[in-house]
Amino acid sequence: MVRLDRLSKSFGAQQAVDALSFEIPAGQIVGFLGPNGAGKTTTLKMLTGMLEPTSGTASICGFDLKTDPIEVKRHVGFVPESGAVFESLTGLEYLEMVASLYGIPQQAARDRIRQFIAFFDLSFETLTEKLLGAYSKGMRRKVVITAALLHNPPVVFFDEPLDGLDANAAVGFKTLIQTLAREGKTIVYSSHILDVVERVCHRVLIIDKGKLLLDGKPDELVAAHNAGTLEGLFTQLTGGGGIERRAEDFARTFRP
Amino acid sequence: MNFFFQTSSSPPGGSIKSPQQTLRRLFLMLFLRGHSSRGLQLKKVPGSIGQKLAISLTMYVLFGCVAFAFVRLPIFTLAVYLHATTFAFLGMFLASSMGEVLFNKEEADILLHRPISPGILLRAKIRVLFEVSLWMAGAFNLAGFVAGFMAAGGGWRFVLAHIFSIGLEAAFCAGCVVTAYQLCLRWCGRERLEGLITTAQVMLSIGAVLASQILPQLLMRDHTMIAIDAQSWCVVLFPPAWFASLDNVISGQLDGRSLWLSVLAISATVVVLWIAFVRLASEYGTGMQRLGEAVAMRPRKSSRRRWIDRAINAPPLRWCLPDPVARASFLLTAAYLVRDRDVKLRIYPAIAPMMIMPIAMLLQAHGRDDGFMDGYGLALSGSMLGLVPMMGVSSLQYSQQWPASEVFRTAPLKGPKPLCDGARWATLCFLTFPVIAVLAAVFSIMQRSLSHLPLLLPSLIALPVFAFIPHIGGACIPLSRPIEEAKGANQGLAIFGAIIPSFALSGLAFFAWAADWFLWFLLIESIVMVSLYAVLHLWLANRKWPKSE
Repeated sequence: MVRLDRLSKSFGAQQAVDALSFEIPAGQIVGFLGPNGAGKTTTLKMLTGMLEPTSGTASICGFDLKTDPIEVKRHVGFVPESGAVFESLTGLEYLEMVASLYGIPQQAARDRIRQFIAFFDLSFETLTEKLLGAYSKGMRRKVVITAALLHNPPVVFFDEPLDGLDANAAVGFKTLIQTLAREGKTIVYSSHILDVVERVCHRVLIIDKGKLLLDGKPDELVAAHNAGTLEGLFTQLTGGGGIERRAEDFARTFRP
Repeated sequence: MNFFFQTSSSPPGGSIKSPQQTLRRLFLMLFLRGHSSRGLQLKKVPGSIGQKLAISLTMYVLFGCVAFAFVRLPIFTLAVYLHATTFAFLGMFLASSMGEVLFNKEEADILLHRPISPGILLRAKIRVLFEVSLWMAGAFNLAGFVAGFMAAGGGWRFVLAHIFSIGLEAAFCAGCVVTAYQLCLRWCGRERLEGLITTAQVMLSIGAVLASQILPQLLMRDHTMIAIDAQSWCVVLFPPAWFASLDNVISGQLDGRSLWLSVLAISATVVVLWIAFVRLASEYGTGMQRLGEAVAMRPRKSSRRRWIDRAINAPPLRWCLPDPVARASFLLTAAYLVRDRDVKLRIYPAIAPMMIMPIAMLLQAHGRDDGFMDGYGLALSGSMLGLVPMMGVSSLQYSQQWPASEVFRTAPLKGPKPLCDGARWATLCFLTFPVIAVLAAVFSIMQRSLSHLPLLLPSLIALPVFAFIPHIGGACIPLSRPIEEAKGANQGLAIFGAIIPSFALSGLAFFAWAADWFLWFLLIESIVMVSLYAVLHLWLANRKWPKSE
């Protein structure tokens, strides 16, 4: 479904993504992890056609990113970390706009949007009366997730999807993506909330400085590195060792 | 399987809009409502596209009525006037809108991963701007059509010719502005792209303001075509004259010069459109991508403190801003004046007329023997200066990052005074004083003497009070309100209200100068202004935080 072959991206002298290669089959949820600035978002942006790779190739559902970018975009859904929306549109206007970019008929789009509204516990009045700029962060995130799934893409990239969602919505969302994966969709899930990744993902990819450090099943990786948890493994690999002691020391500097 | 889960292009279930139609509608809505409206309710945005357009177009129709003053003049003069003012209006509109419409940073995250090509995106945006330009041009030229129909040598043929040439001129303007942005994309690196686009936008806006101020002065001087005579070589450098010649030719006046200027108008438009939409269009997608890329910060060359940090902590700024919060607010406001794209795009084109109009007045009066150059021109020009800090302080309260201003309220401050003080002094230092310096230099060069420069003093003395005026209407806390509110603010009315005392002050100053009472005038003005300043200072110091919406 998703295949990367030595995919690289550099910004001037800075190598953001360095010859990344992996494959993700259909029906798999892959946790895409790395510290800040590791190259996760850059990779996701390349895979969704938002950034042009400097070198290497990638394909999604058999469509090459370079030669068939429109087909690639038709087959992916993307929830960007920024959660950007056109704030001067109402939620319904925004979602209908997105639906028509994918060729979804207006009535069908509206019916489908109603299903999403029901799932996310949003009111139709909110969606039609309020501009997106006036939505809470969680509500905006729900709209962005809806916009990513509206055209029923076979591959979905999530970049920090739970940011702003309340506990109920987060539980619902996790169940949703697990079920979507069982139905055959490929999910790439980038997040810093490692316990969620550990519970939800079939496989994790850990990158740092643009390079792939580890690739495997979470429990197997944790056991192989004797790390106890995925969080422990992550800090071990990405130079976060001793962070707890440093935090304690720093906290002591607050003493009056 | 539900048809919704297919990506077929023509399933049942209602009408399908093409991506082109969808994007056109989207960009028209965004253009009319603004890109960001955080905190606003739907009821606060225009109820309908028609309502907002109707108001704007009515304003343009009213502005265009000046054309009736040209009815008795030769038809070419009318055509040149109409084309020149249309060119300036469209230039200003396109320059101020195009940067935001073409290169919106957040838009990349929303649209670049959708199945649409950058070409479709670009064409949809340009089409919306071109359509709006045509509506504006049509509304502005409505009176011109009637005047042209009534004028000798005009009639129906002029009306038809003018409709065609205005359409062509709108296309030329759009093509020129798009080309300017595309060239920015091509010639600069990712790090400099955003800054360069902003600079290009500011320069284009200021250029359009300059053209709109200088041109009517040239035209109205003798009611003839002296400055833009169709037989003069310089018309080649003046695009509105090319399009006016097109009116001439289609109306039946087939002289050789008009004919080749018309050919120039058509060929220039074709070339510019080809460059903008064919030759450079492929760069557009790359440019959008570049805006979305993270930019690595360049390391500072040395560990020395910035000059502005040293300046703010040294006299005289330290005397003016003894409160450290006020000094922090000064630095914050200065950073936005220099770095923030949105702030720069709103403020610099807005204050450009305040600088250009006095210079235009001085240029117009140069060589006249009516006493204007003896000082009244400078006094009058100085009166415009009071508007600069007013507009600056007023505009600086709006920002795209307004939610970040919550940090002001959570800080242990009694009220917004220190923040307002810092913003006010930043406006004076970074906007007003440079304008004064330029104006004084221009006047000195033109007059080859510094003897009349003291006539700027009354305006200088009044500046701190003028800068306080926006605080009276509202607190004007820097960067604390959404930019959409700026569009609905009665800023224009407040400025118009401030022009009257400002002009009265310059009149009194000139009268005192002529009557040799100038020193007394300065003394009295100083006492009045210091008292007013003290009262306003006290009033602001006791002002609590305005209610948060």
